[in-house]
Amino acid sequence: MSNRPVNHARAAEKFLEDAPHLQFHDERLWDMRQKRDDQMHMLPEWQELRTEASRIKEHTLARLPEYLERFEENAKKNGIHVHWARDGAEHNRIVGEILQAHNARSLIKSKSMVTEECDMRPYLEKRGVTVTETDLGERIQQLDDQLPSHIVVPAVHKLTSDVARIFAKDYKTDPDIRDPHLLAEAQRQAARPVILHADAGMTGGNFVVAETGTFVVCTNEGNADLSATVPNLHIATIGIERLVPRMADLGVFIRLLSRSALGSPITQYTTHFRGPQKGGEMHVVFVDNGRSARLGMEDFWTSLKCIRCGACMNTCPVYRRSGGLSYGAVYSGPIGAIIDPTFNERKYSTLPYASTLNGSCTNVCPVKINIHEQLYKWRRVLVQHHEMPFVKREIMHMAGKLMGQPKLYRAAISATETALGTLPRFALYNWLNPWGKHRENPHPVKQTFHAWYKANRTDKASKTEDSR
Amino acid sequence: MNARDTILQALRTNRPAPEQYPLPPVVTLGNLDASVERFVASLKLLGGDVMERQGDETLDAAIARRFPDARNVCSAVPETNGTMRAETLKTPQDAQDVDIAVVRAAFGIAETGSIFLSEAQLPLNSLAHLAQHIVILLSPGEITANMHTAYQTRPEFHTAHYGVLMSGPSATADIQGVLIRGAQGVRSLSVWFT
Repeated sequence: MSNRPVNHARAAEKFLEDAPHLQFHDERLWDMRQKRDDQMHMLPEWQELRTEASRIKEHTLARLPEYLERFEENAKKNGIHVHWARDGAEHNRIVGEILQAHNARSLIKSKSMVTEECDMRPYLEKRGVTVTETDLGERIQQLDDQLPSHIVVPAVHKLTSDVARIFAKDYKTDPDIRDPHLLAEAQRQAARPVILHADAGMTGGNFVVAETGTFVVCTNEGNADLSATVPNLHIATIGIERLVPRMADLGVFIRLLSRSALGSPITQYTTHFRGPQKGGEMHVVFVDNGRSARLGMEDFWTSLKCIRCGACMNTCPVYRRSGGLSYGAVYSGPIGAIIDPTFNERKYSTLPYASTLNGSCTNVCPVKINIHEQLYKWRRVLVQHHEMPFVKREIMHMAGKLMGQPKLYRAAISATETALGTLPRFALYNWLNPWGKHRENPHPVKQTFHAWYKANRTDKASKTEDSR
Repeated sequence: MNARDTILQALRTNRPAPEQYPLPPVVTLGNLDASVERFVASLKLLGGDVMERQGDETLDAAIARRFPDARNVCSAVPETNGTMRAETLKTPQDAQDVDIAVVRAAFGIAETGSIFLSEAQLPLNSLAHLAQHIVILLSPGEITANMHTAYQTRPEFHTAHYGVLMSGPSATADIQGVLIRGAQGVRSLSVWFT
């Protein structure tokens, strides 16, 4: 994998060039945000739920080893096999071995961001296992050989015509279909035989209950339940941070999850797995992959509270206008920008800058992660580690000098005002000035505030001013 | 050290001070109305149906009226035999030709219109998902107010190996945001109060 910093700005620029896709993407995500607001306004206890969710998660993270052990003990009692993976490679090896022991050649799976993190599909396919995504959006992305662009709606950056083109190639449907119902039906018809003949099924896990040894999967399509109940072998890949202490805690989280994600009161399916089905076998693979290290990062450990609802993505003006793929990472949007650098600080060094720091992400987060503050703190860390693009570093350097000296600052401001009014466009709108892209620079003012103040100041004020 | 112990050890070393983050008490928040009316309104919002009785119509007659083209009606309840008994299905794949599955829910949740099914109600878990449509029998006395009361009071969450809360039929909005009911699982979910 390349270590080069992701060029988010350039990828976003490409995304912005395609007006129909951009407009749909922006509006669709904003619609999800508004539906989330509608749900929030229906519940007077909303803020209390968020506080409760945040406190439960912080408590659990501070006692994570104990809760993981309690889960393991209870799950084993109920006949679940529990595995532990330090990283993606270890996870893939464990899954490969379970499948091999059952001579399983076909795996159907529901959406799981952790398996994306581990890059599991190519690993298994090299070993002769056919992996089929059963979530519609995730399947579209698999067929198009792209990462999911959103953690809840993986193909949200595509239009119906894109899906029709992809399905025509693989499902032999009419490429000119423009009715999403027909395409969804094509997916159902194509998936059924694969599901019926699959040797094994795989799901993720949204919540893990220590008290009962239960893991919970929330979906809308019913594909996770098909993946888990039709084949007799069920493997669940779950990040170690997904725990909650008690069954009763789910009341808080289930009430928040889908309302925050899609603006629906609950996902169509909320499934509780506490043991294998009759005649079946069940495995849970816990994945660390950097999480235990992140728990030790004073400024960033609370990002582990994340329940993967995607609300921060839907509300983010940068995400909505750049698309998830522009982040070049498994996790995109504001939450991605604060957790991706923990995987690879250099490669994802540009992502914390993909934000206006407006704080909207923090305001909508159901578990109260201070996302925009962490974005800011990541910028500081990255600057200290010299992971800053050249132009930005030089400009910041000059700005630092300028701001530190009032006289120089004032001279520069007045010169800028003159420049804005007189310089030709090529000097103002070029690669050194990203603010000149897709927007006009501000109109120059006739008089700066300082000049106005000087002209209108009272004598009393002038003394102290001049003495500075 | 093996992976398990390495991970647990790293968590013990890196975690924030546990005493600073006490476990908050369990809360019961929000609307505690457990009425049939609230359940029905929530169910309809998520695309579920209620099968209304016409006169003293039987369940069989109501199913025939609701699904005139159904050939395989697979029953897991004593109230009807359908065309086949769910107990005769041997493997999970056997449910693939079922048009209508008829099962009884352990309980419902008024806040979300959800119904709960587990292996106690389903001879085969796959029946609830491979069937094209599902008819749910629900006792009006088995409705709990909201998610808090459900998780705190229903014993099924502590006993079932497989427990699903279904809230309307399967759905997707993955293609250009268009809501489609009947994605991969059941195409419709109808509740019959009894």
